[in-house]
Amino acid sequence: MNTKEIISNYTRKEFPESIGKYGNIFLIIGALLSILAFFVDSERATYSSLIGFMFLISIGMGAMFFIALEYITGVVWSVPFRRITEFMTNLLWIAPIFAIPTLLNILYGGHMYHWVHPGEDVILLAKSAYLNEAWFVVRTASILIIVFIFKLYMISNSRKQDTDKDQKYTKRNIIASAPFLAVFAFGISIIAIDFMMSLEPHWFSTIYGVYYFAGTFTASIAVLTLFSVTLNEKGLLIDGITTDHYYSLGGFMFAFTTFWMYIAFSQFMLIWYANMPEETFWFIPRLEGAWGFATLSLLFIKFIIPFGLLINRNSKINPKRLKLASYWLIAAHFYDLYWLIYPTYSKQLSEHGNNFSIFNFWMEISIAVLIIGIILTVMKSSAKNVNLVPVGDPKLERGLNFHI
Amino acid sequence: MNKKLYALTAIFSEPNDIIRAAEKVSSSGYKNFDVNTPYPVHGMDPAMKLKPSKLGYFTITIGLFFASLFTYFIYWVQTLDYGQVIGGKPMFAWPTYVPILFEVAILTGAVLTVKIMIGFFFKFPNNSHPIHDSEYAKITSSDGFGILIESDDPKFDEDEINSMFAELGSKKINKIYFDESEINHKNNPFDYRFIIGLFIIAGITSATVYFNMNVLMYMTPFNWMAEQERGDVFESSDYASFSKLGMTMREPVEGTVARGFMPYTFGKFEKEEAGKALVNPYAADSTNLELGKRKFLTYCSSCHGDNGLGKSRLKGLYPPGPDLTMDLYKGYNDGILYHIITKGGAIMPAHESQITRKERWAIVNYIRIIQNNITAVEEEDTDTEDDDMWGDDEDSEDSDDDMWGDEGDEEDE
Amino acid sequence: MSTDFSKNPIIVEGNKNFKEIDDAVIAPLDRVPDYRFFIALAVTLTLLTIGGISLYISLVSGTGEWGNNNPVGWAWPIVNFVFWVGIGHAGTLISAILFLFRQRWRNGIARFAEAMTIFAVITAMVFPIIHTGRPWVAVVYLLPYPNQHNLWVNFTSPLLWDVFAVSTYFTVSFVFWYVGLIPDFAVLRDRATGKIKKLIYSIFSLGWRFSNRHWKHYEMVYLILAGMATPLVLSVHTIVSFDFAVSIIPGWHTTIFPPYFVAGAIFSGFAMVQNALIIIRKVFDMKDLIPMKTLETMNKIIMLTGLMVGYAYTMEFFIAWYSGSQPESFTFLNRAMGPYSWAYWIMFSCNVFIPQLFWSKKIRTSIIPMFIIGMFVNVGMWFERFVIVVTSLSRDYLPASWAYFKPTIIDFGLLLGSFGLFFTLVLLFVRFLPAISIPEIKAVKEGAQPTHHGGH
Repeated sequence: MNTKEIISNYTRKEFPESIGKYGNIFLIIGALLSILAFFVDSERATYSSLIGFMFLISIGMGAMFFIALEYITGVVWSVPFRRITEFMTNLLWIAPIFAIPTLLNILYGGHMYHWVHPGEDVILLAKSAYLNEAWFVVRTASILIIVFIFKLYMISNSRKQDTDKDQKYTKRNIIASAPFLAVFAFGISIIAIDFMMSLEPHWFSTIYGVYYFAGTFTASIAVLTLFSVTLNEKGLLIDGITTDHYYSLGGFMFAFTTFWMYIAFSQFMLIWYANMPEETFWFIPRLEGAWGFATLSLLFIKFIIPFGLLINRNSKINPKRLKLASYWLIAAHFYDLYWLIYPTYSKQLSEHGNNFSIFNFWMEISIAVLIIGIILTVMKSSAKNVNLVPVGDPKLERGLNFHI
Repeated sequence: MNKKLYALTAIFSEPNDIIRAAEKVSSSGYKNFDVNTPYPVHGMDPAMKLKPSKLGYFTITIGLFFASLFTYFIYWVQTLDYGQVIGGKPMFAWPTYVPILFEVAILTGAVLTVKIMIGFFFKFPNNSHPIHDSEYAKITSSDGFGILIESDDPKFDEDEINSMFAELGSKKINKIYFDESEINHKNNPFDYRFIIGLFIIAGITSATVYFNMNVLMYMTPFNWMAEQERGDVFESSDYASFSKLGMTMREPVEGTVARGFMPYTFGKFEKEEAGKALVNPYAADSTNLELGKRKFLTYCSSCHGDNGLGKSRLKGLYPPGPDLTMDLYKGYNDGILYHIITKGGAIMPAHESQITRKERWAIVNYIRIIQNNITAVEEEDTDTEDDDMWGDDEDSEDSDDDMWGDEGDEEDE
Repeated sequence: MSTDFSKNPIIVEGNKNFKEIDDAVIAPLDRVPDYRFFIALAVTLTLLTIGGISLYISLVSGTGEWGNNNPVGWAWPIVNFVFWVGIGHAGTLISAILFLFRQRWRNGIARFAEAMTIFAVITAMVFPIIHTGRPWVAVVYLLPYPNQHNLWVNFTSPLLWDVFAVSTYFTVSFVFWYVGLIPDFAVLRDRATGKIKKLIYSIFSLGWRFSNRHWKHYEMVYLILAGMATPLVLSVHTIVSFDFAVSIIPGWHTTIFPPYFVAGAIFSGFAMVQNALIIIRKVFDMKDLIPMKTLETMNKIIMLTGLMVGYAYTMEFFIAWYSGSQPESFTFLNRAMGPYSWAYWIMFSCNVFIPQLFWSKKIRTSIIPMFIIGMFVNVGMWFERFVIVVTSLSRDYLPASWAYFKPTIIDFGLLLGSFGLFFTLVLLFVRFLPAISIPEIKAVKEGAQPTHHGGH
């Protein structure tokens, strides 16, 4: 059966029930524990919800980026799983919920962000034209709204194409992808700067946006790989997805893991080398004591181990190894966000004479569980009554014929 | 003519055909066969039942090995052999080595992998393979796809192979023979052409190097790095043309003195005259005496003992200085003592250039204290810990010292 | 004309069969080139001579012949160095990175691009060697070898990282280029008529005989080299950016330099490669082997990397204000409005505004506009390095040290000479070696690959 026939004989399959089941379990347990966390230590729970927000933004916006990239570069190998990527963008609906604790903290006099009450601090007063509550909310809202506009437009084009099979939708999406990439670049940088970099408002790094992007893209490819490989192994996608497609996904994960390491090392080494106190103080809490161990393990977790896992050609085509690498990279991104946010929180606590309790790490785990539940549930519900493969896409046939 | 058969070959003109041919030949059990195509054809490796290349393993092993070796080298250089603190960073500044180690890994991995591929896997250079210059080679390097089965394959049978090729649809079935000269050729390391060639190369190399290093480098403009004849430039090692002895540095005019110099007009043996003329201008107050004590301990105590009693520390390396409390020395006035310190005594060296005028007078004052207070004998002060040996504790003294007589108010002796 | 997304794009246009491809690619090597080639060569050799004279004057009289002063101790030589290393990166990107992404359209231009990389790196390497005024120091003191002074190189210095990076880049690019040339030399050998030519090609082809057992290893090594050249190219311009970013000078010390420089390098390199390709395909009649689609895709990449450079400009400017560091914000205001504002606005218009013209498909597919835009991009990128190096040095922390830098005629001479060296090497390459990789271009022709895959 050649590819043309495969496409014309395509029938819609359902997401496996188990995903929905697991999704609900994780969702409920995660939600209960997270709500409990708020009552136990509301400040820490706000921080862990911040990780949740940044994570979901990563996956959602990273997925949008991947879609736009596919359209604008004209590659064909990712077309069979573009629909999965489109489902991932629906996480953007849920992400703002996780921003609510942070926003409440900012708007109602919390101590998460020092720039909310700069007091006599000249440095913060100088930045207050940018770092103030009103602009913070306006920026976040505008970015999310603009991204939503692009998302709704591009995804609906893709859906309509399923029935119409008209090439004009592809053309429209290509035209939309170009400005979207600009929106993405600046939007993701601004969100990273606003929500995470300004936790330490005296500090600054021009590469911060790129750093967050590197982690974002790796994680979203990992989620895409996980779902695509799982569904394909169960025969729920479409015939014709081969090890060559897997190899491309694995190759992207490998490449962007290395890219993350490159960005992380540049940021560290330049600040270490110049040794300017106004920059090094951000790294110091991350290198002292227990956090030093956390930083070292970040190197292993986010680079050395995935590098070793994915360098072999075999690992990139074996579905089991690919899924293992995906799970690992998703967890590694979560850990990276934790490493970006929590040492600052721990430092703020110790400045006020409190201790950072390592025993309350169940709060972060609860957010992780909740996120897993959200991802599973959102993916399953996005797939309701929708084709799992963009059958109307003109590039699908070339995509299934794709060979390295 | 005894032509030895190397292989039977078949040419195809479509990629699909050559793939099928490869599959047929490999599954028929032939081992010594090969496919020649002008560009790599997809799917040929599994068709020939070839296993994937293992070169990747070489690359990563070599790269990591040399990077580790170089890490140790850098560690040894920067901390053990000639450790320096650069930029306030620790001696083993690992973040700064990462770029270099990365480059070393890539360089060694890439270059050595290619070398291994060419030398070991391909066994290149090899321009004497029987296939070269055959019709088959000309076609398969340009626009045809070929398959050949070597004659030393265990299953080689000309007729069987010919019919198999014809069945597969080949239009051109040929034979390739070993080149006559290659069959009986043996590499002779002592071949006269080779030896002569070596000599020629050696000659050319040495001549070129000699010419470059010993002749060319001294010719204008290539000698811009070397010492050049610049006719009108005066070398510091040349003789001066304008002075009598050819010395550029000339002696000063008679009577020239250093700034702040005040001549000491008394000769070495004129201590009586000095004693008559010189008067101690410094009162023996506590500051002056502290200075005198310090300088005495520095300059005088090694020969005269810490208390001036003649207990020399030099252990016979130099004759001991006399006991300064003797009546003879009590009889010398300040001027005579000053003169002896300045110009020296019978065996005592002159201290004019080591001790400033003020310090000498201070020592004289101190000696007077010793001479007048000898009854109060202290323990020989062997413990010099509290001694302000270097005058560090009270620095105001030395800053007042007018060593060169620059300050106007201390001109008088 | 509307694209049909369901059809594979045609990479090689025209109806040449394999033999005709051989002829088309090798033809320039066999015949004496026409007058256009010699005019071009005359121009480049003139520029090279100007460069040679400037170099001679610089070395014999000393670096005082340049405009370098206090505090601008690093000026045109280092700007030229960064510029040329950047140009080289496009070549590796085309041959290595596009290979990894399986972008088949690269096959027609990969060989030429790799050659340009090597020539760009050769041109670039001249500058670090001469920029101290004492070239023997550069050659002898920069490599770690045991000596009787017990002196070693300073491994913590980014200038030494440059030595390792650029020499690795040159070596690996050369090896990559040569490995690609082996089958081409074999084709030349099999077609050679003269005895000397045949001998030369036999030596350089090492005896390659197109055996699939060899293709297997060859393809693996090509993949490995491409896989290593990719991080290599990122690392080389990153390390070049470290020359500046590890310092504490405002405008230099900023963490985004590594990816910003890499994006800028690809940006300028693509513009230069594209312009050279336009000339070559016209002079040597290779319009169907290097079709308009290839050039159009290159234009899109130019625009993309230009936008990345624009992102970096914005981020730098924003963080300079955000940081609250007065020297930092001053530096950026000074760039835009100080004595060098003319250079800054040339840079900004050429890098950010002008490439936006490529949004128009008409411009993207017309030769003369894209050639002109390519030239502007190169000018803009040269000025970017100039702005970074000279403005930051001429107005750094201590106002008492501020001074204005003016280049001398010798500086100009060296820059012109570098263009002369680069283009002379390019012209010689196209005259004597196949500018298109013959096996690669055959492999992507219609019908070149089997539809029935063995064992698939």
